[in-house]
Amino acid sequence: MNRFELLNNLQNILNDNLVICNIGLPSQELYKINDQSNFFYMLGSMGLSSSIGLGLSLSQTKQVISIDGDGSVLMNMNTLATIGNRAPSNYTLLIIDNGSYGSTGDQRTFTDEKTSLKDVAIGAGCKKVIECSGEETANELSKAIDDKNNSYVIISKINSGNVKIDPIPLNPITIRDRFRKFIGSVKYL
Amino acid sequence: MKISKKIVDNLKKGGVDFYVSVPCKLLANMIDILEKDKDIYYSAVPREEEGMGICAGAYLGDKFPCIMMQNTGIGNSVNAIVSLLQLYQMPVIFLISYRGTPGEPVGAQGGMAKVTEDILQTLRIPMLHCSSVKDIDKIPTFSNHAKVVESPVAILCDFNLMKDDR
Repeated sequence: MNRFELLNNLQNILNDNLVICNIGLPSQELYKINDQSNFFYMLGSMGLSSSIGLGLSLSQTKQVISIDGDGSVLMNMNTLATIGNRAPSNYTLLIIDNGSYGSTGDQRTFTDEKTSLKDVAIGAGCKKVIECSGEETANELSKAIDDKNNSYVIISKINSGNVKIDPIPLNPITIRDRFRKFIGSVKYL
Repeated sequence: MKISKKIVDNLKKGGVDFYVSVPCKLLANMIDILEKDKDIYYSAVPREEEGMGICAGAYLGDKFPCIMMQNTGIGNSVNAIVSLLQLYQMPVIFLISYRGTPGEPVGAQGGMAKVTEDILQTLRIPMLHCSSVKDIDKIPTFSNHAKVVESPVAILCDFNLMKDDR
């Protein structure tokens, strides 16, 4: 299973929740599969999907899913310590771990060598850490969202590989405003 | 403690209700005050760039966020400021202890001090420079300005303003 197939598989779960999606191909694929106003597509700031989602989950009560990648988490690894110590139960970090920098030409990341993000997350203080296959991810993500007492870090181990895709045509303010309207943060739209 | 309390009071008066910090000894009193304040959210974060991301999420969730840090933290955060906070036009307050300004005993802090305002100017970030107690009264209006222009803004607190605030 590659990332495009995984994101396709997760649609029913993502539909009802606030989703922060990582820059590059993950956002472009999510947009192509099923664009929704409750999806916040990152157009910059690689590494910060987990952090944006954490800030959002601390600020309101709806369920938040940060879709991140192994390369991006490696870039902002301190995020796992903050999540381990501060994440509320309405927060789930889904790390799509394909062992490669997919958006930049599939160069290998360190999770394809010796690094285990599961072990890092546990060491950083995250209590509920699940590593699973792409096929098991929908079920694990569902269970994580249904658990109202805990936040989760789910590491979905999939194959690398991308589909041919266009950049997202939405402008950033459109992404921002329709997302905030979905939450109820703006009244003027 | 008086100056730190006055800064926090003015930030709250400006509507700021979500705070993260990477510590500085000049911010220590403010951190103490915020940790005990049940009306707002406060947490430490390990790195400024990450804090920018957390503030972006807090803004999406309808909070008015502030990141407290040394001026060195601006150096760690340039891409997050430009390609997240400015790209999506997110109002966030940077409350910056301005290390390396006159009174600073640590010579090595001078390097970032020399370029801090140039970096903020290059990024077109509005600045409020607090060098005396009366400047602190400008914080509520300046904070509101961040919301009006939908932009991150920077409040720089000089070493000499903060150093005697025991």
